[in-house]
Amino acid sequence: MNVYYEGVLASMGINILLALSAYAMLATDRLSLGNAGFMAIGAYVSSFLTVELGWNLYPALAAGACAAAVTGALVGLPVLRLQGIYFVMGTLAFGEVVRTFFQNFEPTGGAYGMRGMSGTSLEMIAAFVAVFVLLFLAFEVSRAGRAAYAVRDDDQAARSIGINVTGARLLALVSGALIAGIAGALFAHYALYIESGNFNFLVSANAVLFVILGGMQTFWGAVLGAVIFTLLPEALRFLADWRLSAYGALLVALMVLRPEGLLTRTFLIRLWRARSGRDAA
Amino acid sequence: MSVILEARGVDKRFGGVAAVERLSFCVDAGELVGLIGPNGAGKTTVFNLVTGVHRPTAGEILHRGTRISGCDPTAIARRGIARTFQNIRLFPSLTVLEHILVAQACRATVRATQFWPFRTAGERERRRQALAVLDGVGLSARRDEAATHLPYGAQRRLEIARALATGPELLLLDEPAAGLNDTETADLRRLLDALRAQGYTILLVEHDMKLVMQVCSRILVLNFGRLIASGPPAQVRSDPGVIDAYLGVAH
Amino acid sequence: MLGQQLVNGITLGSTYALIAIGYTLVLGVLKKLNIAHGELFMVGAFAGIALAALGAPLPVNLAAAFAVAGLVAVAVERVCFHPLRHASFLSPMLTTIAFGILLQNVATQMFGSEPSRFPHSAEPQQFAIGSLSISAVQIAILATAFTLMFGLDLLVRRTRWGIALRATSDDPETAAQHGVHPSRITITTFFVSGALAGVAGVLTTLVYSQVTPLIGIRQGLIGMVAIVIGGLGNLRGAMIGGLALGLIETMNDAYFYAGYRDFVIFSVFFAFLIFKPEGLFPAQAGR
Repeated sequence: MNVYYEGVLASMGINILLALSAYAMLATDRLSLGNAGFMAIGAYVSSFLTVELGWNLYPALAAGACAAAVTGALVGLPVLRLQGIYFVMGTLAFGEVVRTFFQNFEPTGGAYGMRGMSGTSLEMIAAFVAVFVLLFLAFEVSRAGRAAYAVRDDDQAARSIGINVTGARLLALVSGALIAGIAGALFAHYALYIESGNFNFLVSANAVLFVILGGMQTFWGAVLGAVIFTLLPEALRFLADWRLSAYGALLVALMVLRPEGLLTRTFLIRLWRARSGRDAA
Repeated sequence: MSVILEARGVDKRFGGVAAVERLSFCVDAGELVGLIGPNGAGKTTVFNLVTGVHRPTAGEILHRGTRISGCDPTAIARRGIARTFQNIRLFPSLTVLEHILVAQACRATVRATQFWPFRTAGERERRRQALAVLDGVGLSARRDEAATHLPYGAQRRLEIARALATGPELLLLDEPAAGLNDTETADLRRLLDALRAQGYTILLVEHDMKLVMQVCSRILVLNFGRLIASGPPAQVRSDPGVIDAYLGVAH
Repeated sequence: MLGQQLVNGITLGSTYALIAIGYTLVLGVLKKLNIAHGELFMVGAFAGIALAALGAPLPVNLAAAFAVAGLVAVAVERVCFHPLRHASFLSPMLTTIAFGILLQNVATQMFGSEPSRFPHSAEPQQFAIGSLSISAVQIAILATAFTLMFGLDLLVRRTRWGIALRATSDDPETAAQHGVHPSRITITTFFVSGALAGVAGVLTTLVYSQVTPLIGIRQGLIGMVAIVIGGLGNLRGAMIGGLALGLIETMNDAYFYAGYRDFVIFSVFFAFLIFKPEGLFPAQAGR
């Protein structure tokens, strides 16, 4: 395959994972602007293990993802006590603490970054995307998925029918951290070089924008958003120098004109009904 | 008779304002107790205290002799205390049937199976039970509609059905007749009688005095956060303190 | 040595305070966060540099930054907040992130991603007060920043606009019923918030002598840290929070290790949110 297309597809796959990681939290009505922090943990831990300790990629990747998930659990308990804007700022602060930590942490290269990682293939990224899409699909049709919708719609009413809202949010945060950790590990061993700047606030913000623009009523919106908004800057290449500005303007326009996102659950249900209607006929 | 719910000297202050003061009462099994009082008397605050949304500033609340004040709303719901809300709070993303299904999980003993994505025999059984619950409130024909698209009276009934689906023994209903027309109120009255016949214990906040006097076995009257009267409807109706509270006579 | 660090810290902190004030003003009126606020700092800095390149003196550069960043802030309000005024706080907040990305990309297109600088006219003049040395630039920064802060404090406390602003902040509906024009208050608030950030952009660039299109991300976050330290929704708290951060930063650089600067600042941010989210001066007390 052409190197250019392969690169675009790989970043699309990683963006899908990041969008799913942001979606996991948004599905319980909590917006995290710090998922790049979990991504950084997955990237640095796995890279340290493969480069410095000579581990095989897969166990290193698993270790990186676990480190991100454990951090998520530890940070989640205090952060989830915060409400509204405070929660958003708490996650943002967390992401920046992690980024600036790795900026100075010498064992993983500090400000110079890390190199020497390799081994992520496009197929590998695709496989992880497939696994998580299936997991989200399974979750969405399960009873727990229904409970998550209830939590997102009205957490007080959800509590009144015995749903463990804090538990659901913690689980969402830990799964989001795990997925971001995997995305980070894959990214590090694909990009071959990482520095703390790869995991800044904009990465977290983009992941959330993918979800919002794609539509956050179902996880398919997150997938769609990541696909479209990875391809968009490439499709705008005809605008030459102005393409990134045009991309930014499009983001703003979509946010204002279609705040519910491109894909809605009612649309999916209608699609589903239309199809089963045809099957029955 | 066994006591289901007991409040012992409960105080609740918001900042310097006392919403509830030295409130003590009991609700026995199978009773339908009305909780009435003028606007701002603290009725909804009592519900929020019982269901764990608020913590009492002083005093305690017991469910079957176990202290529940201080527990979170989830734990209290799982003990078998279900509620509805004064301003209807349904889930816009869920259909009518899904409201019942999501509430059924409340009393589940094994929670890990909730992640299982396939329709099991248990799931089919739960759907049958859910439809029976919807039948009880006359909503089974609209099971696939978005809940928030239902007419107002049907939304009130769905909220009650959702509370029932948690498998409670004590139901707290916060102004279920608010905004209903005469036919809907009559339906509600039949529903309350049926629930009582099925053995549910009910605590009812309601402004519709006719309904309260008809269905309740006992009435508690709150004014400015204090219990000013309690007893059977006939007795409460003729209580001078209650009449004063409602007519706003100065003490 | 310590005295010198205090002077440097307060100088830097006064620019942070200007950024923080803008967040607080918007948060007060709308109860929503403008995440493109840091980009207004960047816009102001570039506006100042563009005029300086044409040979304009510092006061003109500051005025340009004030006006341009103020107007861009009004654009942020009209585009991101006004159409989404009935949505939850998340929608406009995320739209401002997108707007910030737009501003970053436009600035990159216009000025390039390499650092831009003010053309140096003369060797900065230094004054000595005892053992302290203070540069003309520092004096200009302190004078501008503190004039703006006291001026704003007076405006909010003493003028009809300030009363309308506080009324809207406390209860927008009641304020509107009593003749306060909510849209006008919102627009003027955004203008002031952007203008102050723009001025901070020029002032900070005078000290650090360079600016990049992405500088707003860090400066915006710093402003956010300042308002959390000072207590959300409290104007004087934001000023004190900004000054405190400037001091933390210079003390860290002088006595600890400059590389840890942002790690220290963001750890303080995180610690405040977890342990003292109401900040040093909770909103009610400071008004």
